[in-house]
Amino acid sequence: MTSTITASGPLTRWRTIDLLTCAFLGVAFGVAYWAWGLVYAAPSAAVSAGFPPLAALFSWPWLVAGIVGMLIIRRPGAAVFTELLAAVVSALIGTQWGLTTLVSGLVQGLGVELGFAAFGYAVYRWAPLLLGGFLGGAFEAVYEWYSYWTDWGWDYKVAYLLLLGASVAVLGSLLSVALTRGLASVGALNPFPPGQEVREQRAV
Amino acid sequence: MRSGSEVRVEDLTWRPFGRSRPVLERLDLEIGPGERVLLAGPSGSGKSTLLRAVAGLLLTADSGELSGEVTVGGAAPQAVPGSVGLVLQDPGAGVVASTIGRDVAFGLENVQVPLAEMSPRVRAVLDEVGLTMPADCSPATLSGGESQRLALAGALVMEPSVLLLDEPTAMLDAATAAGVRAVVAEVVARRGLTLVVVEHRLDGWLDLVDRIVVLDGSGAVVADGDPRRVLAERGESLAAQGIWVPGVPDPEPLPIALDPAPDAAAGRVADGRVVVSAMDVRVEHTTRRLGEPSRATLAVDGADLDARAGRSVALVGSSGAGKSSLMTALGGLVAPSAGAVEPALPLTPAEAGDRGSTRDRLAPPHEWASTDLARVVAWVPQRAATSIVGRTVRDDVLTTPLALGQDRERAGRRADALLATLGLAHLADVDPRQLSGGEQRRLAMASAVAHGPALVLADEPTVGQDRLTWAAVAGVLAAARDEGAAVVVTTHDPGVVDDADRVVTLEAPAQPAPDPAPERRPLLSRVGPLALLAAALCVLPLPALLDSWRQGVFVLGVEVLLGLLGLLAPGRGRAPKGRLRGVLGRLAPAALAVLGVAWSAWLLGGRDLEVASGAALRVLCLLVPSAVVVGFIDPEQLGDHLAQRLRLPARPVVAATAALQRVQAFDTLWAELMATRRVRGTRADRGPVARGREAVAVTGGLLVGALGQASALALAMDARGFAGATRRTWAGPAPWRLPDTLTLAAGLLVVAAGVAARLTLS
Repeated sequence: MTSTITASGPLTRWRTIDLLTCAFLGVAFGVAYWAWGLVYAAPSAAVSAGFPPLAALFSWPWLVAGIVGMLIIRRPGAAVFTELLAAVVSALIGTQWGLTTLVSGLVQGLGVELGFAAFGYAVYRWAPLLLGGFLGGAFEAVYEWYSYWTDWGWDYKVAYLLLLGASVAVLGSLLSVALTRGLASVGALNPFPPGQEVREQRAV
Repeated sequence: MRSGSEVRVEDLTWRPFGRSRPVLERLDLEIGPGERVLLAGPSGSGKSTLLRAVAGLLLTADSGELSGEVTVGGAAPQAVPGSVGLVLQDPGAGVVASTIGRDVAFGLENVQVPLAEMSPRVRAVLDEVGLTMPADCSPATLSGGESQRLALAGALVMEPSVLLLDEPTAMLDAATAAGVRAVVAEVVARRGLTLVVVEHRLDGWLDLVDRIVVLDGSGAVVADGDPRRVLAERGESLAAQGIWVPGVPDPEPLPIALDPAPDAAAGRVADGRVVVSAMDVRVEHTTRRLGEPSRATLAVDGADLDARAGRSVALVGSSGAGKSSLMTALGGLVAPSAGAVEPALPLTPAEAGDRGSTRDRLAPPHEWASTDLARVVAWVPQRAATSIVGRTVRDDVLTTPLALGQDRERAGRRADALLATLGLAHLADVDPRQLSGGEQRRLAMASAVAHGPALVLADEPTVGQDRLTWAAVAGVLAAARDEGAAVVVTTHDPGVVDDADRVVTLEAPAQPAPDPAPERRPLLSRVGPLALLAAALCVLPLPALLDSWRQGVFVLGVEVLLGLLGLLAPGRGRAPKGRLRGVLGRLAPAALAVLGVAWSAWLLGGRDLEVASGAALRVLCLLVPSAVVVGFIDPEQLGDHLAQRLRLPARPVVAATAALQRVQAFDTLWAELMATRRVRGTRADRGPVARGREAVAVTGGLLVGALGQASALALAMDARGFAGATRRTWAGPAPWRLPDTLTLAAGLLVVAAGVAARLTLS
């Protein structure tokens, strides 16, 4: 991300297409998550069999929806809206975590959101991505401490938090940036800031 | 009721960002009150853009430089929400609700019409467009023509003074299109509306309009006046630009000479012999909507179809007759639930491929590996955009030849010749997703036949295409047939039917009759979504609360008891089926979560079974309530409750609810993207890396689809007054009743049981 273009008009005034794009991205990710959920369990279980916090290395994709939503829409609330809707869809279709997925979606989206809010929703480069990704992963880890990993000692809990935060910050951000750039380069993001960035790069 | 308004366009210039030249430049146009205008011009001439400008929606789904002025009845187009009605090409693209009545009421909600007034107005307008079914029927059950009439009703209920139709009949067959036109004619005459129609198939509309305006490729008005006179002067040149002008004979299929493909499957079966044969085939589809049990419908039952080398078959029949389903079953893209699909022996993987085993010889095509299937079968889905797999146009055409290991140079020559003939050579290095609809259609046809498949399947390949793309599609199909492929086309297009060697008519299979006795409803189906959600989420503290397996067993017992109570269906009538099965089905994936937690607890807790089972029970206690209630949550009702009871902001809630109506569409899109990859020879059959890349690629495809749907729906919703609907009324009530209170109490009871267990049990 070399340039930073923010959304048009007042940042809090969402256009219809902003709302619908977040909503549809959420639904598309929800369907994708449901499909990913079917295949990710076996490798995750195999890798983390010896050291359970390693499961974090397979959990970072669940945060990509919120990051992509924020990178595209660039308005306050975009990460929470997209991530929460992805969670609603996968929960209603049926995931292994049932309706508690909603809580995950909420805390993950909030974490990502905070990363961008810290920069006043004005910067869409690596700094807010790394911060937001880490916070999103960390929030999810803390929620899981109390709902799933109640038996773990602090060593495991902290290791899990650091692993999840770091993998979202790095891998989640990389995938999100790649997806956003791919969408922008095919002209699918013309009404949004990333589309404008692509056009400006080409104009030079 | 209002009558037609005057439309005035002055000095309008529109340049979308990223384009060097404006689509419309200094355009002036005046349309009198009640005038009926047909807007014609070649693809890319800015017809739809002009329509959006008149609706005041140019900046809704695109960004660019806009100057000049558009007024409707002297005011800005969206000054009075809904005063300019807009109907889009794709039936169903503007659907926002789960019932047709609710969908029509959408515009009324946005302008804060009180609930009591809505229902009579909705019923009246449904009757006006000839939709006589009950207002609570689902838009998904409508045919294409009915969907367009629903979109018309959604616009009319706002009492517009101008009606704009953007290729409203392009995706419909001739008879259905005539029906839609008749309704439009009647409504426009009765209400005296100003009408602007964009179409590239002009016949049928000419009697309905009193003026035609022709745009040229640069977006300038080149002809304007009485339709007969304009067509007499310019008919030939319009036809040469691709417009379907009445009286000009249909185009001839484009002559295409294909270089022979290296190792082609086409021609391996002798001319006129059977390539694939489907016998007594049955295909079932499962439709799934959130908040409802999934339903299986019979798409094809007991159908036979032979595809013969060097011959073409046109599959015809009304919509819903199972044409696409039979075709995809024939091509091994879906598994038939009964009957057999048998390919000719020379085409089976054992003979044609390199992995000769008896199993492969006997396996039906739907079990073949991706490259084995790709070698034999080509498939062009109805939405050409779905079939894109390459990064550039040339890449896309060469994907399958290279996946099959064909000689790069020879395959490249064939591909380049195809692209040149289809008028795509200058786009060879462009990303295919940047192409226009017609160009994508031609590309999809080129990519399908590039490797010389023995069976070419095309789903409605000419729908909505102009004359130029029509000729290209017909040309590719004829060329494939001439090199020995069997060609199967589903179509409503008389031109395609005439070109086919054989016509097979399908009729919709009789659906098994529904049981006449009314089904009893489980207690939980009487509970609102908020209470269900609250009950399932108030168990969140349980894992932190419970610390032994005995406590877990106790709480789980309470949960199961309350859950079973909620599933009871007292009263008279037929017992509902599959209640427990549904809950257990939803718990099956939860078993994974439970096992994961139990394993890590066992590992940590000194490999103690008591510790592990305690951990497993805690997670189960967390998930069982969800599994019981989730099937009873209806997303639309949830939206109503969130907005009216919890006062969440209206616009995001409506956007989310509208998107949730489309989950099924994404499910279908996912399946179609996977089927495309399989038939193109690029499906990852094994290996985690390949699968990971595939997941990313397909997710990207889903997102492109999501963005496309979002922009179409944004247009449709803003045309119905959604842009300013920060305060709105709601057509669905959101009551809180006794069952809601009881359900919430049950959830709290579980938590109380947890506390009690913690205090009394060790």
